Amino acid sequence: MSALDTARPAPGASHQDLMLLQHQVEQYLYDEAALLDARRYRDWLALIAEDMHYWMPIRRTVTQSDIAAEFTKIGDMAFFDDDRDMLEMRVKKLEAGSAWSEDPPSRSRHFVSNVRVVEVAGDEITAECCFCLYRTRLNTEVDAWTGRRIDGLRRTKEGFLLTRRHLFLDQTLIRSTNMSTLF
Amino acid sequence: MADGNQVHASWDREAILSLFDPASGRLDRRIYDDEGIYQLELQRIFARGWNFMCHESQIPNSGDYFINYIGEDQVIVVRDGEGQVNVLLNTCRHRGNALCRAEQGNAKSFVCSYHGWNYALNGDLIGVPGLKTYYRGDFDKSQLGLAKAAKVESHLGFYFATLDPAAPSLHDFLGDVGRSGLGMVAAYGDVIVLDGIQKNVIDCNWKIAVDNLFDWYHVMYSHASANSTGFVDLAKILQPDNQLVMLGEYGHGIGGPGIPEAMQAQLDMIGDEQRAEMSKSTPFRLRPASAKDLMGATGVRSLGHPNIFPNLWITLNGMQLCLRLPRGAGATELWWFTVVPKDSSPEQRRNAVRSATHLFGPAGLLEQDDGENWSQSTRASRGVVSRSLGHNLQMGLGHDQAIAGPDGGAAIATCISEHGQRWLYQSWTEWLAAKDWADLKANHSAPPQGTV
Repeated sequence: MSALDTARPAPGASHQDLMLLQHQVEQYLYDEAALLDARRYRDWLALIAEDMHYWMPIRRTVTQSDIAAEFTKIGDMAFFDDDRDMLEMRVKKLEAGSAWSEDPPSRSRHFVSNVRVVEVAGDEITAECCFCLYRTRLNTEVDAWTGRRIDGLRRTKEGFLLTRRHLFLDQTLIRSTNMSTLF
Repeated sequence: MADGNQVHASWDREAILSLFDPASGRLDRRIYDDEGIYQLELQRIFARGWNFMCHESQIPNSGDYFINYIGEDQVIVVRDGEGQVNVLLNTCRHRGNALCRAEQGNAKSFVCSYHGWNYALNGDLIGVPGLKTYYRGDFDKSQLGLAKAAKVESHLGFYFATLDPAAPSLHDFLGDVGRSGLGMVAAYGDVIVLDGIQKNVIDCNWKIAVDNLFDWYHVMYSHASANSTGFVDLAKILQPDNQLVMLGEYGHGIGGPGIPEAMQAQLDMIGDEQRAEMSKSTPFRLRPASAKDLMGATGVRSLGHPNIFPNLWITLNGMQLCLRLPRGAGATELWWFTVVPKDSSPEQRRNAVRSATHLFGPAGLLEQDDGENWSQSTRASRGVVSRSLGHNLQMGLGHDQAIAGPDGGAAIATCISEHGQRWLYQSWTEWLAAKDWADLKANHSAPPQGTV
C-alpha cells in the first residue's frame, strides 16, 4: 500500500506537489474502496479516524424555489449519522454470522471518480468526488447508488486516516430494500 | 356499477371472508399477490378509511405543503392562509396532470405545468388562461376546483384524511386503542417531527410489512446480528413473558412488551420525579403520570407497537412513526417520521437522530434485516403450489383471555403470541367484504372478550 505512505508536500506549492497530492489521495480512495469490495471490513476500519463523521442526509425532490431545503442539515434526520463506534458496530453486525440481509453476502463495487482536492489545512485534506456504489444481491436484486461525496483525510505517519465521509445521494426515495453495505 | 366500486368477479363476500380463518389462524397467501384483492383494498380500505397525512409541525406556515398518498391517490396536504389544513388530490381537473411534483415545500398557489390552470391553497380554481378568449367566457370555475378529501381531522397534532364522506369522525375511527397509540407518541409532552422523512421501497406486499410490527417472535432471530453489536439489548426490550396485546375496533392494535398490572399499580402511586429517577435502570424511560390521560389506564402499560389501521406503525415507545404505502400488490414504500419533544435540546435531538438512524430506516441495524424476509415471503406467494399452502398464524390461539380494561379497551396479558396478527387479518377481511361504511359498521367484529 505504497500510496498510503505520506510524502508531506507543502500544500499548494508547486505543480509537482499538487500532482503528488492528487495521486496520493486518489490511490488512498481506490485502496479504501477495494477493501470494502473485498469485504475486508476490519482492515477498512483501521483507516477510520477516532473523530470520524459518516453522514448521509436525506435528499428531497423540491422545486427551484425551495432548493435550499433539498438536503437535510446536520442535526436533522439522515440515512446515516455515524461516528467511528457506530461504524465498528456495523462491522460487528456484518461479522456476526447472522446478518441475514448480508448472508448470502452482497456483491459490491465501489467506483470513485472526478476526485478533486478542495482544501488543504496542515495535515487535514478535504477531497470531493463522485461515487457509484453498485450492489447485487441474491439473483435478482440490483442497486446502484450514485452521488457526490466529501471526504476528510488526515495525514499521519502511518498514512491517511478518514475523518469525514459526507454522502450526498442522487436518489430521494431510496429504491432499495435496505442499505446494508458500507458506502 | 356507476360508483366504480365494481367487485372483482372472484371476490364476493364469502370468498373474501374465507381468506383468513380466525378459528385456525390460517391465512390465504393470495392476499399478498392478487391484483383483484389489491384493487379492492384501494377502494374499500384506503379510500374508505382514515389515512395518516402528516404532523402539524411539518407544515407550520401558510403555503407549506407535504405530498402523501391515500392508496394510489396522491394528495397535497397544505396549510392555507386561514391556517386550515387542506388535503387536495394532486391532479388537475383539466387533463389530470400532477400539480405538484415536489414532495414538500411552500407555495402561494398550485399552477399546472401543462396549461397553467391555477389553484388556491384551499383547492379553488382561481386562474384559467384564455378564459375569455378561448373558452369565450363559457366556463364555471367554481365547478372545477381540486377534488378534496371528504374529511380532514387531527388528533394530538397528527392529521388524517378520508375520501369517504360516510366515514365516522377520526375520534370514533381511532377508538380507545388508536388514540392510545397516538398518545404513546405524545406521552412525554408535545412533539414535533424532525426535518427529513426517510423513504425507501421494498418489493413486498404492504400487509406483510404491517403485520410484522405485531411480530415479537422474529425479533431475537431476525435481528440477532443487531443484538450482537451491543448497540441494542433485545432481551431487555423484548420481555417475552410480559407481553400486552390490545385489540381495537376497526382493526387497530397494540402489541409487544407490557408493564404487568401490579407493577403499573405501584407506578401509579409515585410522582414524576421519582419515575424519572427510576428510569435510569429501566430499558424505557417511565412515562409521566399525565400519560394516562392520553393513553388510557390499559394503554399506558404498553411499551409495544401500535398500528393505526391500516398502515401507520408507531415504533418502540413512540419515537418514530412509519407509514407503509402500497405501490401495487408487490411493492411498499416505507416512510419514517421521527419525533422529538417540542422543547428538546440540541443534545436530545442528536440522540433522537442517532437512535432513529441506527435502529430503523433502510440503514438501521434492526430494519436492514426485515425487508428481505418480507420480499421473499411475498415472492413465495406467486408459486402455484406455494400459494396454496397458506400462512400459519396459530401461536397462542385459544390459550389466552381478553379482558376489558377500565377504559373499555380489551387487553390480553400473555407471552409472545400472534393475537395481533390474527386481529389485523380478521379485521382486514371485514373491511374488504363490506361494500360501504354502513355495511362495515353493521358487519365488523367487536374486539373479542374472553378466550382468544
